[in-house]
Amino acid sequence: MEEANFVFNMIGENWIAFAIISLLPMIFLLAYALIAILGELKISAFIQERLGPMRTGPWGIIQPVAEVVKLLQKEDITPDSANKPLFNLAPFIMFAASYAGFAVIPFSSYFVPSGINLGLFFLLAVGSLGIIGLLMGGWASNNKYSLLGGLRAVAQIVSYEIPAAMVILTIAVMAGSLDLQEIIRQQSGWFWNWFVFGGSGGWIKIIFLPFSFIMCIIYIIASLAETNRTPFDIPEGESELVAGYHTEYSGMKFAMFFFAEYANMFIVSAIITIIFFGGWNSPFGDFMGGPIWGVFWFVSKAFVFVFLQIWLRWTLPRLRVDQLMYVSWKVLLPFSFVCFLALSLLVMLK
Amino acid sequence: MKDYFKNVWLGVWTALIGMRITIDHLFRKNVTVQYPNVHPKDKAGWMDMPSNARNRLYVDMDECNGCNSCARACPVNCISIETVRSVPGDAPPPLASGGKRNLWVSQFEIDFTKCCFCSLCTEACPTGAIVMTTEFEYSSYNRYDLVYNFVKLQNSMSDEKIAEVKEKWAEHQKEKKKEAVEPK
Amino acid sequence: MEDLLFYLFAFVVIGSASVVVLSKNIMYSAFSLLFTFFGVAGLYVLLFADFVALTQIMVYIGGILVLIIFGVLLTTKITGVDIKSGTTGKVQLITASVVVVIIAISLILLFTNVEWVNQEFVQPNTTIDSIGFAFMTKYLLPFEIAAVLLLIALVGATLIARRK
Repeated sequence: MEEANFVFNMIGENWIAFAIISLLPMIFLLAYALIAILGELKISAFIQERLGPMRTGPWGIIQPVAEVVKLLQKEDITPDSANKPLFNLAPFIMFAASYAGFAVIPFSSYFVPSGINLGLFFLLAVGSLGIIGLLMGGWASNNKYSLLGGLRAVAQIVSYEIPAAMVILTIAVMAGSLDLQEIIRQQSGWFWNWFVFGGSGGWIKIIFLPFSFIMCIIYIIASLAETNRTPFDIPEGESELVAGYHTEYSGMKFAMFFFAEYANMFIVSAIITIIFFGGWNSPFGDFMGGPIWGVFWFVSKAFVFVFLQIWLRWTLPRLRVDQLMYVSWKVLLPFSFVCFLALSLLVMLK
Repeated sequence: MKDYFKNVWLGVWTALIGMRITIDHLFRKNVTVQYPNVHPKDKAGWMDMPSNARNRLYVDMDECNGCNSCARACPVNCISIETVRSVPGDAPPPLASGGKRNLWVSQFEIDFTKCCFCSLCTEACPTGAIVMTTEFEYSSYNRYDLVYNFVKLQNSMSDEKIAEVKEKWAEHQKEKKKEAVEPK
Repeated sequence: MEDLLFYLFAFVVIGSASVVVLSKNIMYSAFSLLFTFFGVAGLYVLLFADFVALTQIMVYIGGILVLIIFGVLLTTKITGVDIKSGTTGKVQLITASVVVVIIAISLILLFTNVEWVNQEFVQPNTTIDSIGFAFMTKYLLPFEIAAVLLLIALVGATLIARRK
């Protein structure tokens, strides 16, 4: 199928279309961020048998709006001893890196901002871009907590990128493509064609089911670490580092860090959805199929994984730094190697 | 090697157990009371405060023997007690629970602006006269309204009675002094 | 449009690269490399080398630049590094200038004198297939040698790290 994009079909390939295409994910991101903030507040409250925010709007549903307004009108403080150019640049790099990931996320079979052939590789590459923003913010704040947080974040993200890359490599082998639309198309049909269940193919894949399951778990763990979420939030561990790399940030610039974190949460959830859970495919064959339902399926699947991240945050305590490295290098990596070999064997048998 | 796999398995399994617990709590009934809108006493399932709730103190003057234990136990010195000794033959009425009393408690003040609700006084009290109640809505516009004098509040001794017992004790003292000066 | 983007990326590359060289703050130099690498990746994209562009971002920004910044953070003097180190005298200056001028002149001569063949350009759909085939057929030996070299480096690094 040709690179399908409903905006191009509607108004042709011109400047307006490009502008609309690059802004659509932003609109989605804003709406998503509000929902995710509310979700975080409410889910954490319900897990602790509290009610959470209740005063702003019915059941506190406009609390995220209040939070955003609060952040916008806060004073934008730049510490005296901070390195001002880098301090001011860091949040923008962070956010730009997160938003760049949305360039290749296929929301539906008829909408992907940029349908390049290397989507999966692009996501992997852009995911490593945010580290620089982190390190920049951590160093430029001229604060020991920020610097430690930045260094920890980098050490963590660089180590967890390797198991994540192994998983993505496996998916590339299984799909024979790095094009996200192609990967999703290969998982069409019923839900047992998803890559988490070994992809489409004969009954022989049942033998390899455990391996693809383990791959999925490995990617979920690695993605948690890459987004600095609990239990891997040592870069911003409140009890040790105040707030890590964004200790000195306030107001709008803090909001950008915050926003980038939530955008990253969605991106990794979207990657999990795309590479393991069939992207915009309906789980039940042709039931509720088509491009418009595709958006629904894609977003709801991704939200399940956003929920999973929030759920895990309120379940597991933070790991120690050495345990973090142990998990990455001595557990995830060997397991991902074994699973990679096994799943490659499956591809050869097919 | 076996330990390694066991460790990995335990890591995954315990995480799953934790997730089961939290998802269980996610769908449980919330315990929060929307206080100013809903009074805890009105909320279903909240018959009253928990039995160990620590709120405003109450002193039963019929039980107090004026031993001053509570005032000594108080870490913030918010309790001040004045007592008058009784003369022989004119003992105060016995405690409601039946014990003997030798002191007239003429003043029992608790300053609730100072009280830190530590509940040490209730543990120190030998007769169980001072207790924590479930009452917590007693804020006031005037801080002197928060100094509670339980003698006045419960009217256990009127001002005349206090004056009378003081007078009696003073006389008793004088007599004693006289006896000491001129022994028979 | 493409021309505009080319000049934009070229400007970013040259501007940030000159910051890398000229800045007195070594941290600025390290972070300017980010824009240099990124601009080069953009230039690769304009040349339809999408895989190379992404590898540039992945390897240079995600790996090497982070290592460089780590290295810089471990140095004691971050700001105010004197570009002229104490021993640099006039002899070195003159020699360096002569060498640079000679290289520049020869490059300019090369560009102006060679008859460049303008090949008929076909926009490739994706480069990754051809790269993969080339690696596995024509350039298998260099590919394997590079792989073995990296493996040796990895083993060596582990060995050094293990030794107390």
